[in-house]
Order: sequence, then C-alpha cells, then structure tokens
Amino acid sequence: MHNIYRPDLMKVVETRRQTPDVKSVKVRFLDEARAKEFSFRVGQFGIFSVFGYGESTFNICSSSNWKDYLEFCFRRVGCVTEALWSVEEGEVIGFRGPYGNAYPTEEWKGKNLIFLGGGIAMPPVRCAVWYALENRADYGNMTIVYGARTVADLVYVDELDEWAKHPNVRVVRCVDPGGETPDWKGEIGFVPTVFERAGVPAENSIVLVIGPPIMIKNTLPVLYRMGILPSAVYTSLENRMKCGVGKCGRCNVGSFYVCKEGPILTMDQLQRLPADY
Amino acid sequence: MSGTISRQALRELVSEWIGQGKRVAGPRQVKPGCVLYAPLESSAQLALEGFIRPANSVKEFVFPKHEELYGYRITGNGIELTEVEQPAGEQVLMAARPCDAASLPILDHVFNWDYKDELYNRRRQLTTVVTLACAAHDDACFCTSVGLGPAAERGSDAMLLELGGGEYEVRCLTDKGKALFDSRLPASERVASIPSGPEKRFDAEAVQSFVKEHFDSPFWPLQTLACLGCGACAYTCPTCHCFDIVDEGNIERGVRARNWDSCQFTMFTLHASGHNPRPNQPARQRQRIDHKFHVYPEKFGEILCTGCGNCARNCPVGMGVLRVLAEIDHAQHLPARPDESR
Amino acid sequence: MSERVEFEPKMVAFVCNWCTYLGADLAGTTRLEYPPNVRIIRLPCTGRIDFNLIIKAFEIGADSVLVSGCHPGDCHYTSGNYHARRRWILFRELLQTLGFDLERIHFTWISAAEGHKWQQVVKEITEKTRKLGPYTDLYQISGNSASPFPLPIRGGGSNTVPLPTWGGEGVGALRETCRRLLAEEKVKVVIGYGKRGPVFVTRPEDVEQLVWNSQCLTNLTVYLKRKEIRALGRPAIVVKGCDERALVVLEKESQIDRKEMRVIGVVCETMGQAKCATCDVHIPRFADEVIGEVDKHPALTGERWKSLEALLALPPAGRMAYWAREFERCVRCYACRQACPMCYCERCLVEKNRPTVIEPSPTAKGNFAWHILRAFHLAGRCVGCDECTRACPAGIDLRLLNLCLAKAAEEHFAYRAGMDPKAEPLIGTYSLQDKENFIR
Repeated sequence: MHNIYRPDLMKVVETRRQTPDVKSVKVRFLDEARAKEFSFRVGQFGIFSVFGYGESTFNICSSSNWKDYLEFCFRRVGCVTEALWSVEEGEVIGFRGPYGNAYPTEEWKGKNLIFLGGGIAMPPVRCAVWYALENRADYGNMTIVYGARTVADLVYVDELDEWAKHPNVRVVRCVDPGGETPDWKGEIGFVPTVFERAGVPAENSIVLVIGPPIMIKNTLPVLYRMGILPSAVYTSLENRMKCGVGKCGRCNVGSFYVCKEGPILTMDQLQRLPADY
Repeated sequence: MSGTISRQALRELVSEWIGQGKRVAGPRQVKPGCVLYAPLESSAQLALEGFIRPANSVKEFVFPKHEELYGYRITGNGIELTEVEQPAGEQVLMAARPCDAASLPILDHVFNWDYKDELYNRRRQLTTVVTLACAAHDDACFCTSVGLGPAAERGSDAMLLELGGGEYEVRCLTDKGKALFDSRLPASERVASIPSGPEKRFDAEAVQSFVKEHFDSPFWPLQTLACLGCGACAYTCPTCHCFDIVDEGNIERGVRARNWDSCQFTMFTLHASGHNPRPNQPARQRQRIDHKFHVYPEKFGEILCTGCGNCARNCPVGMGVLRVLAEIDHAQHLPARPDESR
Repeated sequence: MSERVEFEPKMVAFVCNWCTYLGADLAGTTRLEYPPNVRIIRLPCTGRIDFNLIIKAFEIGADSVLVSGCHPGDCHYTSGNYHARRRWILFRELLQTLGFDLERIHFTWISAAEGHKWQQVVKEITEKTRKLGPYTDLYQISGNSASPFPLPIRGGGSNTVPLPTWGGEGVGALRETCRRLLAEEKVKVVIGYGKRGPVFVTRPEDVEQLVWNSQCLTNLTVYLKRKEIRALGRPAIVVKGCDERALVVLEKESQIDRKEMRVIGVVCETMGQAKCATCDVHIPRFADEVIGEVDKHPALTGERWKSLEALLALPPAGRMAYWAREFERCVRCYACRQACPMCYCERCLVEKNRPTVIEPSPTAKGNFAWHILRAFHLAGRCVGCDECTRACPAGIDLRLLNLCLAKAAEEHFAYRAGMDPKAEPLIGTYSLQDKENFIR
C-alpha cells in the first residue's frame, strides 16, 4: 500500500551554522535508487522531520540541477527546528516531497531577473539564483538585493560574493540601520529603500521578492513606481502546513491551498486572495 | 433490488454479520440520552428508534480520530520505519442516516485530490453503508438546504425505509448492498412512502456568494460572538476532515500519527514566528463557513456539509454553522424562512 | 526448557533534592542494601512534583510510584512540602475515583539523615509491589460493557419550558432592567440568554432578544475573559446562582473586577439538570440586581454525592474500566475546557509541545492524562455548574470527577469554591494541620 505520508530516509551530509539561530543542512537519500530517480523543480518545498519530534516545512533551497544532495535552511524557533538544530552529520531524518509548485523558469527565460530577499527568506531566493546562474544564457541581467536586520543575520554570505563574480550579475547587500558593524562595507537601509536607491533598470524584468510581510508591503510601491506590473512580481507564500498534500485543511488562503497551488504566486494573484494569511 | 425485512430479521442478520467476523457499527445508546455510532458487539445494541440521529458521525470509521501512519525505531544505526497494521475484513455501517452516508463520497474528493490517501481509501473500500431513511427530523436538521433529504441515496449501498408495523423496505442501491443482503430479503412490491424533510432554511448558493463577497464584513465579528472556540462542531461533523500530524513515543521508538484537528482552535494556523493569520474567533468562524460553502464547492463541486445538524446540537452554546447560515440568510433579505427569527 | 521469569517490579521515585535524595545517598554511602528496582528522579522540591508526572510514570510502565520529600517544617524552600501535601490529599481522591490502585502510590517524608528509612521504605514497597504484580489494569476496559449505573447526563431535552420561578415577575422585568442599563449607558453590552443561545445585546431596543427558560444553561461568565467580548465594553451579565459562584472565583483569582461590570442575578428554582436537585444557590447572593423570587430555600444536602458514591462502590478495577470506557469516546474537542469559565489560560498545557506534557492524541493514555489534568487544575476552583458535562458531545460524565474533588475539598478542608469571596483559594494555601495519615 503506497502511503503518501511515509517519508524517505535521508542521511545528513553536512550542517552549517549560518547565523546564531539559522542552520543549513544538506541531506542525501539513504536509498541510492531513490536518489537517482528523484528530481524536483526549483522553488518546490519539502517536509523534513526529526523522528520523535515532528515534521516541518522548508523550501528546498538547493538548485534543482544539483543531484548529490538536497538542502534546506531553517531558523531554530520551535519544537522541530530545535530538534533539527541538534542533528549531526551522519544522522538520519525524514523527507517528504517535493510538494507545491515551482518557479516558472520557462516563463522567465529572456528576462532580466531581480531577486529581493530579506533575512531568513533568502534560501528560497538562493536556489533560484543558482538555477539561473547555471542556465545563464537563458536569462538577462541579474540583480540580487539581500538584506537582514544585522550583519550576523545574513545567510549564505560567501555565496553572495560568488554570485557577483558572474557576468552581468549585480549583488547588493544591506543591513537595517543600526545593524551594521564598524567594518561593514555594504549598504545600510531596508531592502526596499536600498533597492530603489540602486537604480536597477526596470525594462523586461521579473522580480522575485521573498521576505517578511512588511518588507513585501514596502517593496510593492517601489516596483510600481518603476513600472513593473504585479503580474511580473513573484513571491513565495508561507503558511502553517502539516500534510503538504492538500488534505489537512490548514494552509488555505481562501480557495488557494498553499501546499498545492502555491507557495509561489504573482502579486496580482496574491492581491486577489482574501487577507487570510 | 428491493425487499422487505422485519426489525427482528434485521437484527438476526446483524448478528450473522457479527458472527461472520465483519466489523459492524451502528447507532448505540451508550447511556441514557446519548446515542452514538459505535462498534456493535451484539445486535441487541443496535438502536433503531427513539432518537433523531446519533450525536457523532460515521466518518470515524473511515477516518479515525487517531490513526497511526507508520512507526519508527531509533537505533544506533539510524532509523527504521515500520508499517502499521491495516484493518482487514469488511466493515458494515448499519442504520446510518442519509446525511452521514452522503458525507463519504464528499470526503472522497479531498482524500484523493492528486495524492491518494490509501489509509482512507482502504477503509472506504472495506465499508458497506446501510442507511436508514429518517422518519423524523428536528429543528437542527437542514439536509434539504444542501441538496439532500431524509431518503437521499448518496453514499448509500442499501437503504432501509420504514413501512410501519416493525417492517422495513430494503432498497439495495449498489453491488455492495446487494452482496451484503445476499438474497436474504423476501421480494416485495411494498414501497415505503418517502418521509418529508425539514423545510429549506437557506439558499446554499447565496451563502457561497455571500462569503466570497463579504470577507471583511463586520458580519463575522458580530454574528460569531457566542462561539467558544472548541472543536465540538468539527469533530461531530460528518464532513470536517482537518487533521494534525504528531510524533509520539520515546527515545527508542514511536509512531507518527494523525489526529482530528479543528480550524476553531487558536493554534490551528499559528506560525512559529507568532503570526496567526486567523487571530480571533470571528476569523476562524468565517473560515469554517468559507471552507464548507465556498472553497470546497469551488474545488470539488460539492458543499462540504450534509445538513445533519450535529454542529448545532452539540455546540455548547447552540451555534454550529446553522446559526451563522441563518444569519447570512437573514442578511441577504431573502424571502422569510420559517422559524429562524432572531 | 524455559525458566519462569520472576516478576521484577519497576518503581519510580520522585524525590526532593534536599532531603530524600540525600537520604538515599546516605543509604548508599553507609552500604545499606536495598532492592535495585527503584528509579530515582530528583526534583528540587516535592512542591515541584506535578501530579501528571505520577501519571506519566504509570503510563511508561511503572508498577509503583513513590513520592518523597522533606518532613513538614524542614522544607528547603520553607513551604513547598506543605503545598505538596495539600495537593496530594486531593489528588489521591481523584485517583481513587478514577480507579487507580492506590496500593501502588506511596508518599513518605524522608530526611537527609534517614538513610535507614529510605532502605526500609524501598524494601517494603518493592515487596508489596511484587505481591501486587505488574500493573496490567491500567486503562483497561474489562468485564461487561454495560454502564454500571444509569446517570442522566443531559437534562431537559430540547423542549424549552418556561420556568415557574418568578413569583409574579416575568422575563419582562429582566428585559426592562437591561433596557434601562443600556439606555442610561451604564453598560455597553448585556450578556444574556437568547432564543437560540447566548446573545450580546448592545442596543436598548434589542432587549427583546433576551429570554428566560429551561434552556438558559450556559454559564455566561465564560465570556467575560474572551477578548472579542471584552472589546465590546463594560458588560452587564445575567447569572444564575450557580453561574455566580464562578464570578467569586474569577474575582478571587484577579481575573475580573466586579466593579467593572453589572451583575444581574436571576432567581432560578430549577433547570431540570442533575445539579439542580441538590442546589442551594437558587438566589444569587452578590448580584447588583436580583430578578425574581422563590418561596423555598432548600438547604444543602448530602445527596449531592449520591452518583459519586455509586461509582465508588465499584472495586478499583471496575472504576477504571468505567472511565476507560468513557474516555474511549473522548475525541479531544475540548468543549469541556472551552465551556468552563475557570479555564482561561491563553494557552492550555495540553497545547504545549516543548516538551509535550499531555499527549494530544485521543488514545487511552492521552485521554486519561487530559481529563486528570482538567479535573485537577480545577480542584477547589470548579463551582459545579456542570457545563463541561453538558458540553461533551460524547456524553462523558465529567461531573463525577468534579464532584469527587468538590467532596474532597469539603470533607478535608471545609471548602466550597465560589461561596465565600473572602475564603482563601484551596490549592494556593495550606494548613499546618492538613491530615497526613496516608504519608509514611
């Protein structure tokens, strides 16, 4: 009997502490056959679990081109993430997925890509950035603006440097006013402000913006002023989930089941949803 | 196929089914004044009259309140997952009300939406539903407002209709029903009259457009003040299916299981960050009506409600969806319905 | 060839760090031998021992539990053991009603110098448990499946009957009082009974919604702590005598301020519920206005414990089988909790998952743990409105648990919740004279 709730067993191959309370984890299927046949599309999420503590939903933040492992990134904030924090390399956790929809990478072909990420919301942007870099010829200019509250809260900092090395890729990093260190060389300001200051050309662009609601709320007017339509602005909607397969009745925003029809949607789709998120 | 059966013969048949090892469940008086669908150990426990309907629903026989999904063992070498023993053998739901039987095909949609929930499907396949058409209703019943009625056939494999004098007309509606009664019914031309159901209390389509258009309306805070935020309505509802997944065990082994959950609880949509999209009871009540009368019909073409009235009867403060729906109806200034004056 | 394996009792001991733990340590350092069957769990003080730890020990397979701490007067934290003792007196009654085998639960005072006593106690308890055998009765449904005694759980049925309590006045007097209060803006909302359930009347002309009949059962005081209701402003609340007791408890616990509301007491002869047969609060005692009068002033009767005594007449295994059967039907809807005015925690302990204290699953052990928690957290606070019982969609007789603790409170401490606004709370206080005849 095929049990849709039964997870795959994954070996933890690497854990990395990104900030005082954020870790990224790379996992690999224990079952080699499964590892070979498994694939996902960039933007999808998985439900990762620590046996004895429970399941939790995270975006798969590795590029879908990478075959050796899956990666996810989490903040230590609740029962399951506390348990995940203590998981070491070599231990086994559970994974169900891939669930949800993916970034419409086909539709984005030929466009300039603008990525705006805030704090712990960087990982779902990160996988899209890597994917685009790996299929560089398909996409136009890339701009990445990433900010966090303080310098210590920035995740995947070393990768930001790598991205900037690619042609026609511009990386702007910033911290909230007051979050800078004396040797901080990046920008100071909230992501929407810094983005507007950066003077990125708007033509033929799509925008992926993921971050706390306040950041998104303040980014939209900037995009509007730049003439970028809501249908060209994408985000990933978070909501509390349990089953991930549309049955437990928890994640819906009106008729929109985040686990089935999301989590990725455009701003104009989002604006048509009731304020139930 | 149609036939007649006396109440006594029916009980004998039930005894036979129990004797054959079938799992039989039906209305049972667990104590004075309390009739619930429960497993029957003997046919004498089957309650056939003297109450409107059991206070719970039959969903627990295909969607248990607690269901182990799989087990896990934590060893020095890692994790071992173990299958949980699945129920075997036929299950008969005896004397279910039509509003309970109808809930099963409605639930089939969500449990098979792209991903097939075989735990549910398996129990469903093993189940034969024998309905008892309702001879009476009370003021909490509203099956007729959601497209059903006292002798609705949806979800039923065989229906019993009262002929009077302690006899029932039996209509076998599906192959399963036929197989269950297995030519034990003396053929008969007697046809029971279909009992009349409750009068329509509201227009379901009008409710659907109301919830779509009035998401931010003060209607919700005003009309849902009495709700205490328990799960009595959701858990006794034949169609509510929200669930939670938990790990339970010790450092060596445990199970991952699912339990019923209710959108009326505060923590249902609480994020780890502390943000709650539905931070108050009006928002949660709105979600309940929205899910049942707008979202589910939009997705699956059916209302997630069979009008059984359990929510209204079990609600400690007499609400259930019925009270809110009556208020919506009232707010729409539709032609006056009987009874539901404020 | 198989050897018959001797049963080795598994025992868990919850001991306080400062006395008993050191006493056990002393037994060790002075080479006193005692059976190795006891697993010691060290806590700072017996006052810290949550009763559900005792239940948890049984859940995970203990055959016996020992709880031990400093002698009264010697507590390292001054009074922790006094609080514990009071709690234990009440908790034992609850366990007895539930059918736990009290022969398997032991309480002692063992000081840091009493290594010998530790040795003796452990020896005795181990032997006793060995004779009792493994605790296989826990949560078992055994014997015949008929309920041992028929108890009415929902009174009144669904027919509404106007009640003969007015002595001349009618519901008109209630409506007029409320109309006046609203019109004069003395209150912003009247919380009262309407035709189909509680109503929240904010306009004088809407007082016609208010009714008074045999379906006026909800304890409306439950709304005083709900934020959506508080947002409406200064309330007037309609209470029966039984409901009013909840106001006394809530005010004692600093959850409400009587000065910030208007209490409209309604005289009630009976609502036809089980509680009404033995009621002595037909007339609300502390209301700002009282509507109605009644001729009879019945006295408190011992008949209140009748249904509980019928349960206690069963042997422990029979009691446990009764509750196991009842709790089998529990779906954890928490209607009992939500209907109770005294359950006002913003997050209930059952919703805690770091760590999980009470399993949320509706299994036998999850349900026992929940109902024990609910009942015991209401010890000395439950006013006997029976709303929890009426709210339960599975017909579980929760009032028996409440009666058990109310009886214990009266018999041991002459205490009735919600009767005297000046009385100190039951569990929050202790007396140096609390009886400890069950403590070794």
